[in-house]
Amino acid sequence: MVLKNTGETTKSWTTRVEAKNERLESVKGLVDGVVIPTNRIVEVLEKLIKTGDRVVLEGNNQKQASFLSHSLVQIDPEKVHDLHMIMSSISRPEHLDVFEYGIARKIDFSYAGPQSLRIAQMIEDGKIELGDLHTYIELYGRLFIDLIPNVALVAADKADIHGNLYTGPNTEETPTLVEAAAFRDGIVIAQVNEIVDELPRVDIPSSWVDFIVVADKPYELEPLFTRDPRHITDIQILQAMMIIRGIYEKHGVKSLNHGIGFNTAAVELLLPTYAESLGLKGKICTNWVLNPHPTLIPAIESGWVDSVYCFGGELGMEKYVEARRDIFFTGKDGSLRSNRTLAQLAGQYAVDLFIGSTLQMDGLGNSSTVTRGRVAGYGGAPNMGHNPGGRRHSTDAWFDLKTSDDPLARGQKLVVQVAETFQEANKPVFVESLDAISVKDQAKLAVAPVMIYGEDVTHIVTEEGIAYLYKSDSISERREMIASIAGITPIGMEHNPKATERLREKGMIALPEDLGIRRSDAKRSLLAAKNIDELVQWSGGLYNPPAKFRSW
Amino acid sequence: MRSAFLFPGQGSQYEGMLHDLPDDPVVKEILEESTEILNTTIESLHSKKALSTTKAVQQCLLIASVGTYKAFEKNGLIPNFVAGHSVGAFGAATASGVISFAEALRLVTLRGELMEKTCDDGYGMAVVLGLDEYRISEIVNKLFLENEPVYVSNRNAPTQVTLSGSLKGLQKVIDYVKTNGAKSAQLLNVSTPSHCPLFNGVSEELLGELNKLELKRPKIPISSNITSRLLMQADAVKEDLAKSICHPVRWHDAVNLLFESGTQIFIEMPPGDVLTKLAQQAFPEAQTMSISKSSIEDCFYVMTN
Repeated sequence: MVLKNTGETTKSWTTRVEAKNERLESVKGLVDGVVIPTNRIVEVLEKLIKTGDRVVLEGNNQKQASFLSHSLVQIDPEKVHDLHMIMSSISRPEHLDVFEYGIARKIDFSYAGPQSLRIAQMIEDGKIELGDLHTYIELYGRLFIDLIPNVALVAADKADIHGNLYTGPNTEETPTLVEAAAFRDGIVIAQVNEIVDELPRVDIPSSWVDFIVVADKPYELEPLFTRDPRHITDIQILQAMMIIRGIYEKHGVKSLNHGIGFNTAAVELLLPTYAESLGLKGKICTNWVLNPHPTLIPAIESGWVDSVYCFGGELGMEKYVEARRDIFFTGKDGSLRSNRTLAQLAGQYAVDLFIGSTLQMDGLGNSSTVTRGRVAGYGGAPNMGHNPGGRRHSTDAWFDLKTSDDPLARGQKLVVQVAETFQEANKPVFVESLDAISVKDQAKLAVAPVMIYGEDVTHIVTEEGIAYLYKSDSISERREMIASIAGITPIGMEHNPKATERLREKGMIALPEDLGIRRSDAKRSLLAAKNIDELVQWSGGLYNPPAKFRSW
Repeated sequence: MRSAFLFPGQGSQYEGMLHDLPDDPVVKEILEESTEILNTTIESLHSKKALSTTKAVQQCLLIASVGTYKAFEKNGLIPNFVAGHSVGAFGAATASGVISFAEALRLVTLRGELMEKTCDDGYGMAVVLGLDEYRISEIVNKLFLENEPVYVSNRNAPTQVTLSGSLKGLQKVIDYVKTNGAKSAQLLNVSTPSHCPLFNGVSEELLGELNKLELKRPKIPISSNITSRLLMQADAVKEDLAKSICHPVRWHDAVNLLFESGTQIFIEMPPGDVLTKLAQQAFPEAQTMSISKSSIEDCFYVMTN
């Protein structure tokens, strides 16, 4: 028997869309179709956004919906307040001004590097209610579960009059943010630099978008992934040589992600020189999930690279990418298509190796990049910097990390942490206890902000050598391995030369000489490009560096 | 683009400094008002001999910075934020309209006098470069002796930290840190152990004087010495002015907060360019200028555009 609701008790299953329509209706007189006049944006936001709404504001570490964030702070807090902001990156003053002015109350975010002091103070002072800190993927995931947005404020390059959006190379996370709002009767507002008759391509279709508004000036973009080779040191080159020999060659690492460290920039610049001389071309570093790093140009030009999938774009690399569409993911129009969500997933599940730099590490290999008194969050590193338990496919490098003959044994993601034993100001990197613990207390966090957990780290590289942590399950042995490459830091002072010898013999650690590397060979002359100008030359003039990187 | 004016503290003074101020009628007015209130001459304020006293130093710093600020104010060039290092906070509070210039001048005079008479010869300050505040605090706590007290005082930069206390104790810390990671460590040419609990009494007397005044709500948010928060209320400014003398100045954080709040232009009031250099080093992306090194016309131009 089928139970049917009777007329009287029928509950409405369309309250969300009705509420949305009501909001859309309320701005009818202010907008022109899907276009919000630039000078009426504040008024329109005051009607479309309601007190207590969950609002996604696009601000990631590259592209910023800067016109919309500027407009949001101008809202009258008497009309709209207690917003719950959801942002992957808190990077602009107005992102926190909305809390100072009483417009917003709660925040869930992923990264806050450029506002890390202010947000720490505001959390401490109770001016901001912290939901939680996330990695990118976690935050995107929650947009579809328990942080479903009422409103999404995003940025694109161009729109047509119907509201189709073209993002250009910086698609980044815009489709993800829009999807979470658009398909659950939320309101999507996109700022664009211009409205044109015909778009080069459609990155987000108009049926996902409610309104577009032409920004008073183009959205802000940070050239975050440009590393000037001039600043690469001999020590970083030594580390890069060890990484190439002792990890990439040893395990046959073909697919990988690099962070923005100078030591991994050095690896990129040693591929056409040092690694070429080892005959490794085609055997390592062929498939990348990586932003279009200018320092990868020489490797691409030398035929090292098969493919690069990007989280976002990089200022100045647009023409180069278009001219190398065999390597990059591009649209029919020829320009780069990036996608942070998919790139993060690819970096988590589909690559052999993640490598990143750290500022602090304890004796068990837990690492963190926090500074006391600052709350910087995570970004994407922890997504990629762990061994995903759901991985089932095998690759040579992954399988090479299998350490037992158990019939159910499996391989492991390579998670590499690179550090020099001392940071600036004589600060030891290897310490008894992480500053993350004091940050946890000060900012009243539930968990200490550890970037990569020791249990996930498979290799540590310092200027002293490499510790192959994955080779041991024993906590005391792992600690011994770390101590033996930790120099004269508090942890390093624990090491005993005899143990170090034993670990070397067992292949648990390797010093440069064990890898056939002479320290005196680690020179800047090995770099395929020693400055930005040489990168431009490698690119045949296609790379157009931002002004602040031009030295000529 | 947001801007912030920085008001220097002790250490920036030099002989004859009040002659180097911008040539502007409002500056002259401030100089005249000062000599009237203090019943003295300009020469006897900034002479070499006078500047050997804390009192005259603090008076001169206030006169120079506020006088110059008035020239900006007259032209309608008001910054988004102000901050002052130590006694510079009185200049910042004046610029922000919390206290009048006359009130500020009387307060710093009292502050200088109280500081001079609180400690005898055996006290002073030192600066350590190359270690962070946490490491130095560990060392100072380890070496602390009740009869030779030393305290970590101002955090001028992440690795430029001052110490205040007894000369004997300071020397011990200097000797220790020199062989334990510091790039350099030396005594400063000051006879007052500022910004540590030895000056709790000074702070109380200052608070008493401040309580007699009717402080106005800040017209310009002030970045605080003690908490490195933006001060928007008169009471909060009062507390900062009174307590700063017995608490560390968290200068780096105070300026960092301004930078994170969107400040792209830092202009330092005279004398000197100590705060300009610190800001430049900490925030190379921002524009930093001092009246002492650039002309005031250049600063006007930057503020106008």
